[in-house]
Amino acid sequence: MRFPSAIVAKGAAIVAAVAILLSSGPAGTADDVPEPEGVWTGPMHGTTPKTLKGAIVLDIAGLDALMAQRALFLDVGPADKKPADFPKDLPWLPIHRTIPGSVWLPGAGAAPLEQAREDVFYARVEELTRGDKSRPVVTFCHPDCWGSWNTAKRLVLKGYTRVHWYPDGIEGWQITHETAAVKPDSVWDAASASGTQP
Amino acid sequence: MGIGTAMKTLSLVLGLILSAPLLGGSALATDANDPEREARWQEISAYIFGDRKVEPTDSLIKIEAPKRAMDAALVPITLTMADKGNVKSVYLLIDDNPSPFAAHFTFGPAADPGELKLRVRIDAYTNVHAVVETKDGKLFQTVAFVKASGGCSAPMGVSDEEAMKGMGDMKMKFAGDAQGGGPLAATLMVRHPNFNGMQMNLTTRSVRPARYINKIIVSYGDSDVVTIDGDISIATDPVFNFSFVPAGAGPMKVVVSDTEGGHWEQSFTTTALSN
Repeated sequence: MRFPSAIVAKGAAIVAAVAILLSSGPAGTADDVPEPEGVWTGPMHGTTPKTLKGAIVLDIAGLDALMAQRALFLDVGPADKKPADFPKDLPWLPIHRTIPGSVWLPGAGAAPLEQAREDVFYARVEELTRGDKSRPVVTFCHPDCWGSWNTAKRLVLKGYTRVHWYPDGIEGWQITHETAAVKPDSVWDAASASGTQP
Repeated sequence: MGIGTAMKTLSLVLGLILSAPLLGGSALATDANDPEREARWQEISAYIFGDRKVEPTDSLIKIEAPKRAMDAALVPITLTMADKGNVKSVYLLIDDNPSPFAAHFTFGPAADPGELKLRVRIDAYTNVHAVVETKDGKLFQTVAFVKASGGCSAPMGVSDEEAMKGMGDMKMKFAGDAQGGGPLAATLMVRHPNFNGMQMNLTTRSVRPARYINKIIVSYGDSDVVTIDGDISIATDPVFNFSFVPAGAGPMKVVVSDTEGGHWEQSFTTTALSN
């Protein structure tokens, strides 16, 4: 994609303005959310740290580079939940678009996660990586979503050595790349449906 | 979407736009002709229109929407119907929203159905379809691709009480020549949070139960203007623009109802036109 220089210049001016606004904010916001000791058990939606000890934080260029390396992509974005009393005569057709080739484990980044579900999560990742803890893994969901941070953290804690976290998530990816519709991972979904959901 | 999130999204988008030339000319192929998206449309179309044929049109209905929406919870949509004497009703469908049916506008004898405007929530990069039903019962569709995301689950930063304050209050603006007898443009604003059942309440950290306007009936004197069947994709504090032909003294009456039994009525006279 090419953009006229006027637009780029205007964009740069806005980015600069945003940067000033963000940097002038009070302490404790935006830039300096500290990493929790373990997984984050607060609200899933909120500002996340910029770092994750033991994992690599990716931007889109880093993600593109990793694409060639047989990495396992784990999308932990939530599934749409049908509102109560949704009209029977209208279609409810949730669709989940993500980075092509990703395995979708809706809600796997929640914390605390019931022990049985956490076990299923670890077993599933072990299966998907064929027991290779040095296999590159990328976790993502949406911006300002702790779910992918938690998922990466869990893998680090479990001894995975090449864990990557992509905080810009699907929204970051789709700006320059195609998405693909996926269904929830069948194993994870079966475990979630069999009453082990929190 | 909070201002902080909006700014982050803005800087994310702009940052990527700025770095885009480095990626080389990889224009996105995303468009209405993607076979996966076409299959999705066929599924939605079959659900809503059954066996009825829905033919593409370049002229009978057009969609004007931002290619990239700055606020996914408030995406402005304009629909124009060229052959306005032959319009029975208009549907707006947002393909990739979990509930694709956004609105159905059924016009009455006092309507001037050349143009409609509304504001919707959009949950993902998606095709948006507008379908016009002609007076002889035929259906024609057109499509636009809109880049927005998260509009359905975007948290609202206020408490339920705050969001519901003044619920059902209405305002109406008219524009045009009231004396000339020609069509007048109306802007209807209704105060209502239109909770879609997917938004997080940031105070209680729980999902707000759905409560949204599902019907608006607008009439002028004894004549129907338009009936709007709405769903959860209509934005908070709905605003609709439409036109009508004022025969007689009116007044214009608006009846609004929501999914929790809320019912509000108000009448407006066109005599106090601002221009």
